[in-house]
Amino acid sequence: MTAPEVTVEEEVLYSSTVTAVGEQVGMFVGDHGILVLFGADSPAELHEFSAIHEATVASAGPRPGDVVELGSTRIPVLAVGSVVEANLVNLGHIDFKANGSTEADMPGDCNLPVGSLVLPQPGDTFRILRPAGPVATPEDPS
Amino acid sequence: MPEYKSVTISKGRGGWGGPLTITPTDERPLVYSVTGGGIHPVAARIAELTGGQAFDGFKSSAPFDKIAVAVIDCGGTARVGVYPMKKVMTVDVHATSPSGPLASFIKEDIFVSGVGVADVVEK
Repeated sequence: MTAPEVTVEEEVLYSSTVTAVGEQVGMFVGDHGILVLFGADSPAELHEFSAIHEATVASAGPRPGDVVELGSTRIPVLAVGSVVEANLVNLGHIDFKANGSTEADMPGDCNLPVGSLVLPQPGDTFRILRPAGPVATPEDPS
Repeated sequence: MPEYKSVTISKGRGGWGGPLTITPTDERPLVYSVTGGGIHPVAARIAELTGGQAFDGFKSSAPFDKIAVAVIDCGGTARVGVYPMKKVMTVDVHATSPSGPLASFIKEDIFVSGVGVADVVEK
């Protein structure tokens, strides 16, 4: 075994572990291409259709170009609605929609490519990673 | 025994649904705030005007049959549908419209969105 020659450093914006998966989650993912996550403090009525998780890093939400990691699956982020970051950082809540759209219809939407979602399992990691580009310029005013 | 008053809650800018009339009762006294950062100002206003009891859904849970109204800050997928599905009057502070897997439960007589503090008025 040899290590990969190039290691692309990624910033970990959010890091969490799935603790429970509600019984409706499979239907949401399979029939609608939607995965809802909530933090473990959320009210019980939300758990039926949510993957529940406990975060250890909750510094920021995703933006387009970031990577969502669910277990061993890596998914590129296409679009992010206006309230996604607040929901994720405050409540551990995010709505992933595998609709392939680069525009967020609803303020809570985080859009992913069609067919990209996987059904999480308890014990899976859930992370949001920001790739370090070769010409990364954090002070970029854009 | 507390004396409850009614409020009318109308949709705000870009919002959908309503208006809803909310009157807490002894059986359903709770203004249930399922929002980030504690009791949302809209929930606080509803509680202030009606005499209902503001309740933080992220601190502890309440039975559905005690809830006069749920105040959510949902971005359009999950919470917008759950409370209407449970027949709970629902106020979203974000300007959402029916969507998501539970969209069929979101009706104008049980859901209103885009609501700010100024959209809650005494009836």
